Amino acid sequence: MIKIVKRDQPSRAIFFFTPVLAIFLTLVAGGLIFFILGFKPFEALKFFFIVPIADKYGFSELLLKATPLCLIAIGLSFCFKSNNWNIGAEGQLTFGAIVSGGVALLFYEQEGFYILPIVILAGAIGGMLYASIPAILKTYFNTNEILVSLMLVYVSKLILDYLVVGPWSNPEGFNFPETRQFSDSAKLPLLFEGLRIHAGIFLALTAVVISWFVFYKTYLGFQMKVSGFSLKTAKYAGYKGKKMIILVFLISGACAGLAGVGEITGPIGQLHREISPDYGFTAIIVAFLGRLHPVGIIFASLVVAITYLGAETAQIFMQIPKYTGQVFQGMILFFLLASDYLLFFKFKFIGSKK
Amino acid sequence: MNTNLKISNVTKIYPGCVANDNVSLEFNSGKIYALLGENGAGKSTLVKILSGVIIPDEGEIYLNENNLKLNSPSDAKKNDIGMVFQHFNLFETLSVFENLIIDSDEQRESLREKIDTIMKKYNFSIDLDIPVLNLSAGQKQKVEIIRCLIRSPKVLIMDEPTSVLTEQETSELFLSLKKFSEEGILIIYITHKLKEVMQLCDEVAVMRRGKLVSVSEIKNENIESLANKMVGQNLKTIKKKKAKTSSDQLIKITNLNFTSEDPFETNLMDINFSVNRGECLGIAGISGNGQSELFQVLSGEIISEKNSIEFNKNYIGDLNPQERREYLMAFSPEDRLEQAAIPQMKIFENVALNNFKSSNFFNNGLINENKIKEHSKKIISDFNVNTENIELKSQFLSGGNLQKLIIGRELITSPDLLICFNPTWGLDVGAINYIHETLIKINQQNKSIILISTDTDELLKLSDKISVIHKGKLSKIMNAEEVTSEKLGILMGGAN
Repeated sequence: MIKIVKRDQPSRAIFFFTPVLAIFLTLVAGGLIFFILGFKPFEALKFFFIVPIADKYGFSELLLKATPLCLIAIGLSFCFKSNNWNIGAEGQLTFGAIVSGGVALLFYEQEGFYILPIVILAGAIGGMLYASIPAILKTYFNTNEILVSLMLVYVSKLILDYLVVGPWSNPEGFNFPETRQFSDSAKLPLLFEGLRIHAGIFLALTAVVISWFVFYKTYLGFQMKVSGFSLKTAKYAGYKGKKMIILVFLISGACAGLAGVGEITGPIGQLHREISPDYGFTAIIVAFLGRLHPVGIIFASLVVAITYLGAETAQIFMQIPKYTGQVFQGMILFFLLASDYLLFFKFKFIGSKK
Repeated sequence: MNTNLKISNVTKIYPGCVANDNVSLEFNSGKIYALLGENGAGKSTLVKILSGVIIPDEGEIYLNENNLKLNSPSDAKKNDIGMVFQHFNLFETLSVFENLIIDSDEQRESLREKIDTIMKKYNFSIDLDIPVLNLSAGQKQKVEIIRCLIRSPKVLIMDEPTSVLTEQETSELFLSLKKFSEEGILIIYITHKLKEVMQLCDEVAVMRRGKLVSVSEIKNENIESLANKMVGQNLKTIKKKKAKTSSDQLIKITNLNFTSEDPFETNLMDINFSVNRGECLGIAGISGNGQSELFQVLSGEIISEKNSIEFNKNYIGDLNPQERREYLMAFSPEDRLEQAAIPQMKIFENVALNNFKSSNFFNNGLINENKIKEHSKKIISDFNVNTENIELKSQFLSGGNLQKLIIGRELITSPDLLICFNPTWGLDVGAINYIHETLIKINQQNKSIILISTDTDELLKLSDKISVIHKGKLSKIMNAEEVTSEKLGILMGGAN
């Protein structure tokens, strides 16, 4: 007989084991789905998870997709650790891209070393501004940050739509919904000839290091940690809870904004309608899969990035709709949440010898 | 028809605490019974057993000689036991009528007629079609009562029903309860308010620490005798030596008020007191009378007017806890696990919660882990915390050790004033003694204490002066030597 018992304390080993278990279960369930659809499960999984990264180009694409996921998830981890449910990173990404794209367009056909830093900074500020809306509404008007941040995603996408179709559209662009190409000085340099991986990855890695440092080494991080565990304790210790809430939103918005900068100033080099395949939403999965820990998030962003690539490969080679990528992302989160049950409960096998 | 409810040898044990210890009671309809006891005495557990919310470990319940098996609240309903909880279980946005039909399987029309009849009979006037959120607390309670009456219950249990009512609403409720009783409904009234027991009830059962202490008729009791039974007479005469009387005033509270937006919090009204150096002021009271709010106002979690708190000749009413610590105040809140410490964090991290500028825990915004660890080790050895490992998560400390850590953290900086709230709540005797000795020692060092506690023995043992808080108001401040537990009990129950 199997009995379910509550654990005395959450197990640390299990804490890191459940993400692995979740990925494994996702593969099993994915294989099953392929089987039901009439594909050979192992072959399909191979096309999904191995073929896309088997060559240099594929690996560069993997890093390209993982970069924004990692960057956004790092930002979100600040929010989630302190119980602020910012799920509007997609909007903050979009708005950051709009602001930095606008600045890049100001420097149209100008060159100079100072342009790129300004463009990057503009993106971070754009993301922060956009994230400050749910933060301020939450702290001073008691609104629900989940709803506000989510709805603002659609607002930002419509603003972008309006700009690229209307005032900012390329005058020589035959009415395509896109802006002019940014000047080279406003673009993140590519790292290797012929590969799309760009300097944005350094932004992500810097964010990883800074977030680790802030969270584990500074007084600010300590206050955020305490506020996240218990607002009552934070109040008792004399920390400013409201400021802390706004701050984590700003950090999160800045990271999402930077991800937006990477998307438009990288290989593409212009603003257009579809700057992000929902990186902002997928990063939520990455943050949780990475256990909200900077190092965990690096690994998680790589894993989840594969689902983007795999979906494309599978569509090309096996005519499986690319939306299966989203199915996989959904399954990872689903299995992760389900296996988190093991954090607090354990199965006890009671033998017949009793 | 007569109703007879019998509780026989009911025992309910929680880890580390016997909530009901072999309790047997018998109730008959036609009378109103009071179940009296302090917080934590076990009355709530007992009524939860009667209403099927909790299943007892041992013991039986009989209604008119039938053995009841109450495994869920709906079993209690089926057996004609109705219960009105202290906190209302109503859907605020639904109408009164919708709230009433939710758990009924009767036809809407017939139910409406029934409700109308009930309301007429007992003179209730509530508009059935407005949302519940527009009702006053008293009206909401009536809705809860009607919900019970629809099922024509044999037994009606009221759990601390007057805690949210005004005086006016309370007397209306008492009239209704007397009427129900005349109609043959057996009424069990749970409270810790002595005055209400004397006013309303016919018989009273007193519980203390999980045990039934006495069952008696009201006509043979008075407020003093009930207070005595409720608080317990195990008064120890071990008192600390009276400190040298000092007239050096350390803290003075003047006309302090606090009005809460939360209906379940207590407003503080016109608080005035002062504490001299080397003195311990005890504040007694039954929990929920404003102690938590008073603690927060004193600690700075709730900010008040600048001039309302004068500490060491500085006005500090508008400062937050951290700023107050710089003036050498220290605080030990009631809730060890959710406020004073974070169980998921390590011992040394919890030590860093009490952060002075001079403690140098954080330099230039960076965590100075060595400094904190050094400090933590000192606390652990100075205050006998039973562990060597400061990297241990504090959830693995026993309650007593955690409390020693917290008190140690607050005291190691030798503050002028320690404000503590139920410092020995839930601890074993050894830890209690240690904490008590520590508190006495502070006074001897000419430091002051404000001790907010629901434990009367503790207060009598440690305080130099005592005041009682009741409904957010402080009684006059008395010399501890002139106070008896009877007198405290009476003041705690709200009588003069």
